[in-house]
Amino acid sequence: MKRAPVVLAVFYCLGVILGSCIWFNFWVVMGLGIVIFAGAILLRKNRYIFSFLILFLALFAGALNLKNSRILPKDHINNFVYYKDDSLCSLSGFIDSQPELKDNYLQFIFRAQAMQKDKIKLSCCGKVVVKMDFSQKLTYGDNLILIGSLTRPYNFGAASQSYKDFLARQGVYLLMRLNDPRQIIRRPGNSGSKLINNSFWLRAKMESIISRDLTDLPAGILCAMVLGQKHGIPWLVNNSMIKSGTVHILVVSGFNVGIVAWIINLLFKIMRIPRKARITLVILFLLFYCLITGSTNPVVRATVMGAIFLAAYLFKRIPDIYNSLAIAALFILVINPSQIFDIGFQLSFLSVLAIVYFYPKLEVLIHLKGCRNKILRFISQSCLVSFSAWLGTLGIIAFNFRIIAPVTVLANILIVPLATIITLCGFALLLSGLICPALAYLISVPTSMLINLLLNINAVVIKIPFAYIYF
Amino acid sequence: MLDFTSEEKKVVLFVLGLAFCGLIMSNLVKINSHIEKIINPQVQLAKINLNKINPDELVKIKCVSVKLAQRIIEYRNLHKQFSSLEELKEVKGVGEKRYEKLKEIFFIE
Repeated sequence: MKRAPVVLAVFYCLGVILGSCIWFNFWVVMGLGIVIFAGAILLRKNRYIFSFLILFLALFAGALNLKNSRILPKDHINNFVYYKDDSLCSLSGFIDSQPELKDNYLQFIFRAQAMQKDKIKLSCCGKVVVKMDFSQKLTYGDNLILIGSLTRPYNFGAASQSYKDFLARQGVYLLMRLNDPRQIIRRPGNSGSKLINNSFWLRAKMESIISRDLTDLPAGILCAMVLGQKHGIPWLVNNSMIKSGTVHILVVSGFNVGIVAWIINLLFKIMRIPRKARITLVILFLLFYCLITGSTNPVVRATVMGAIFLAAYLFKRIPDIYNSLAIAALFILVINPSQIFDIGFQLSFLSVLAIVYFYPKLEVLIHLKGCRNKILRFISQSCLVSFSAWLGTLGIIAFNFRIIAPVTVLANILIVPLATIITLCGFALLLSGLICPALAYLISVPTSMLINLLLNINAVVIKIPFAYIYF
Repeated sequence: MLDFTSEEKKVVLFVLGLAFCGLIMSNLVKINSHIEKIINPQVQLAKINLNKINPDELVKIKCVSVKLAQRIIEYRNLHKQFSSLEELKEVKGVGEKRYEKLKEIFFIE
């Protein structure tokens, strides 16, 4: 079987979906899984039965992993908080994410280690989302004691976009709102990982380089496109890009990871580093870039795919895009099976899958390879890539966001090539900002102009009649 | 003389091209300030003019309820127009926190 990872990933995903729909006893299914596992060992010489049993094991693994991820440990903080209990408690632990300003709240994830309530001190584990309506200089890894009441998130969105479920998928079940600086007591030391701390430091440095030579709006857009930091994007810009179906350019995706791999590879090539060492270093740099950009689903997917592709060159094997996509999906879903219900995960994988599947078929259908005009062929290829991605994600977008945007294909044809150049300019700006700030200023001028052009095109495109339809 | 590979040539050309574009544009801005409009995005692309927005569009904005939209429109009709964003605070239902959010969405012209 050439595409064994694809079949295994499909069965694993089916297992996760079944596990969320059907109630079952963990140990009964685990027992069944052990029996199948033993059967697979005994019948390994019979090809068909062995394959059949392995697929069943993948199905069971998906369901069991989901069930296990939803069982909280006994000392989980969620077990100590009762419904509608707003009594004060003191929570000690450390900051587990980079604090971000969202809707005028400084927000971060706090990893609890101990809790004191009604003079009883308990050691605990688990994560809490902390929202502060005052500003304080806090960084990832800071050891703190927080005093406040813990609440459960409300389900104010539609079922598919529920905030409560969104947080639960990240392993967060509780919120703490702070409105007084006295509710925070600092403890000495930093419990964060050094690698993550360094990646955040580098990200802050890169953000400062971008905002040094650009005004607020272009800097915010470039930070989103290159570093995956969306906090500087105004609501109107984000909203208008959702309407035109081009909001995907405002996140770090496979394209960015590809550019980083290409730049790093080129730099090492210039340094005359041998091929094998170069590929290994590129993989390491990709992992670091993944950390810098916040390890979101599209970046993890693209990093795993990129690493598999590069590893294939390292071991002189032919890379297969379906297999690498399947391994990337398995990588994310083994760590957190609930991610399969995340819209971002679904869109990220479906868009790539749709491009890989539909594009070659459409290319043959319209006899594109016979076209000799290079410009016409490039435009047609862009159209087909956009159309394939739109086709693949149409259903999910319509179901979740209640919007159909026929203008998406046209908008992507115009905006994606421009976004490609802007991303390249962004990376050139970052590198030159580190090496030669005077050159960075010169690069920032055309970059700003291109971002202005992109925003203007987007504003014009969404004004076309029936560009987008809400239902 | 310069022993570049094809990839290195592309990078050098791209960076030099960008730098020359930057030089030309920064020079043009110094000669004619109107060119800055082409380089830096205008506020209209990121914010909404509070004096021109119609009630239907106003309701669609996050953090603006139907009632608040009505009050904002009433205030605008009564005073002909908003002369500064600070005036939003005079509308019933706009406290300091909501004003901070609205300030990010609207501009006055």
